[in-house]
Amino acid sequence: MSLLDFARGPAMYWSLVIMVAGILLRLVGALLLRHSKMLSKPRSERTVWAGLRTIVRRSWLPATLGKRVMIQQVTGYVLHIGLFVVILLFVPHIEFFKGLIGLSWPGMPNELITLAAALSIGVMVFLLIRRMTDPVLRAISGFDDYFSWLVTFLPLVTGMMAFAHLGLRYETMLALHMLSVELLFIWLPFGKLMHMFLFIPSRAQEGAKFERRGVQA
Amino acid sequence: MSMTKEMEQTFALFYGMANALGDLAEPVQMAPEERVSKAKGVYLEKLDADMAVELESCIHCGMCAEACHFYLGTKDAKYTPIRKLDLLKRVYRREVSPLRLVHRLYTRDISADELMEWQELVYDSCTECGRCSMMCPMGIHIAEMVGVNRQALAAAGLIPVELQVMQQGQFDKGTIFEADIDVLEYKLNEINQQLGFEIPVDQAPAEIMVLTSGLDIMLFNDAMAGTAKILHHMGVKWSFCTEAYEAANFGLLSGHEDTQRKTSSAIINKAAACGAKLIITPECGHAFPSLRWEGAEMVGHALPFEVMSISEYLGKQVMAGKLKLKPVAEKKVVALHDPCKVGRMGGSFEEARAVVRALGLELHETESNHQYNFCCGGGAGVFLINRAADLRQKAYEIKMGEIKQTGAESLVVSCGSCRLNFEVGKMKAHDTINVDSLVALVADNLAD
Repeated sequence: MSLLDFARGPAMYWSLVIMVAGILLRLVGALLLRHSKMLSKPRSERTVWAGLRTIVRRSWLPATLGKRVMIQQVTGYVLHIGLFVVILLFVPHIEFFKGLIGLSWPGMPNELITLAAALSIGVMVFLLIRRMTDPVLRAISGFDDYFSWLVTFLPLVTGMMAFAHLGLRYETMLALHMLSVELLFIWLPFGKLMHMFLFIPSRAQEGAKFERRGVQA
Repeated sequence: MSMTKEMEQTFALFYGMANALGDLAEPVQMAPEERVSKAKGVYLEKLDADMAVELESCIHCGMCAEACHFYLGTKDAKYTPIRKLDLLKRVYRREVSPLRLVHRLYTRDISADELMEWQELVYDSCTECGRCSMMCPMGIHIAEMVGVNRQALAAAGLIPVELQVMQQGQFDKGTIFEADIDVLEYKLNEINQQLGFEIPVDQAPAEIMVLTSGLDIMLFNDAMAGTAKILHHMGVKWSFCTEAYEAANFGLLSGHEDTQRKTSSAIINKAAACGAKLIITPECGHAFPSLRWEGAEMVGHALPFEVMSISEYLGKQVMAGKLKLKPVAEKKVVALHDPCKVGRMGGSFEEARAVVRALGLELHETESNHQYNFCCGGGAGVFLINRAADLRQKAYEIKMGEIKQTGAESLVVSCGSCRLNFEVGKMKAHDTINVDSLVALVADNLAD
């Protein structure tokens, strides 16, 4: 079995199994814990609506708060949009998803994908340097922060190299790219990349809690 | 209205007394293993699904630091709000998380030394104001979980001595600052003479049970007398109750849940026995959520009456046209401070503003206002912790900086500990802006 066959076959299968099982375990495990019942009379009963509203509202902070974290907000948007474009709108990736789930959608031209990938890589390098030098980030960072960075960064770099036919021969680069994605799949449930799911219940419950008290969060 | 000479003298006396609180008790001695075991017991008891989701979702972005007056004032990374939850997070990861078997491999257990180090982080440098909760892109309610950390440290015998003295005193005697029944009656007599009517005490049934606080009894008499004058003027059926008049809850502030429950239960049971339909909490920030939001939890059932802070009550009466005010003699520009526990954590913003408008004052909002308001720096008991004096002052400077930017000639506040913190901050920074009680302003400007 060649490296590419391994990456496309058992490695892909098992990394996906670990990812899905891990995500379910972590989400369900947390959500199934005891739910505290609040006995005080709420100011507002519209907690579901407020939860949904906070999911959206917390995507951009009001000026008085946002002006102090503009770097984080802007880089956050560039990185997330960049990753979204590269992962979901690159034609070969769409082919991969079609094989996996049977659905496909229109892609974007390769030039735009390359630009998005380059921007994402640039922002990620900036954020890494920031994490290693900013005192606040240093005080709250650990293995997860650096490893999650690495498993996100590697697919971007190996993907760019395979696409540009740089480095090793194409089949090997493609295999390395797939293996780096599989490493990301395996790590995803264990670290902070889980925020891609957790931000929804977390924001929603804060919105609901503050709404009970008559405050828009 | 500025502080009178008499108030200034009382303030100096009170400030001296508050500063000496730490000399009245010794830190609790406990074996290190016992501290860890008791703190863990609290963490494990309190950890629920909401906290799990929030602790799981942190991306370590550090944005919460930029919301915190203690970080902004010092630029010391140790005050980053989410870092204050580190011990809770580690206990969650090692003992509760669905991935605990994996997390245990690389997550250190908590130690007694760390619990001691965290005392400064969850008491001195957090007023549980909740501003960081508004900043967090994941929606983590950090302030709420700092409260759990205080409970864990309280169980581990690590309440700062000043708060421990207050908590123990309130548990034993039901009073704070030695404002016992004799002192209350003495003050009420004084106020009766000043106002020219008898303040209702222990009258049942009273539709409204009014609470006061040791801080108002000993220092801010204008707020207590003002409340009485306004309610008398409105002709409502109200009363103080000598068996339950203290609204402050040092059980809540210190994290000592037995004291919190005992204090809240005494008020709730008395109000129910009196047939009260409404409890009004005084100008004391945390007194409001301690009853309005946590009272039911303390007694295990929904409360059979409403709870309002005095500022919310007055605002609602003004808005309903039931309380008419005359414009202040000299129209001026004012800024308004929303006490965190009444505003962001309590849900009352517009009521105080309605009162300010009815007084004919020109309100200039601070840049951060309503739910994004900066704390005064002294909330959640921090105003009594001696070693936090410098931290408080840094936070005060941020708040006062925004107030000065409004061009206000005076500041309107409806919280005793905020007032105290502003007065001390002013004294240290040589600021001169007047700090007025909302209630006292209303009492001085009742329309005939």
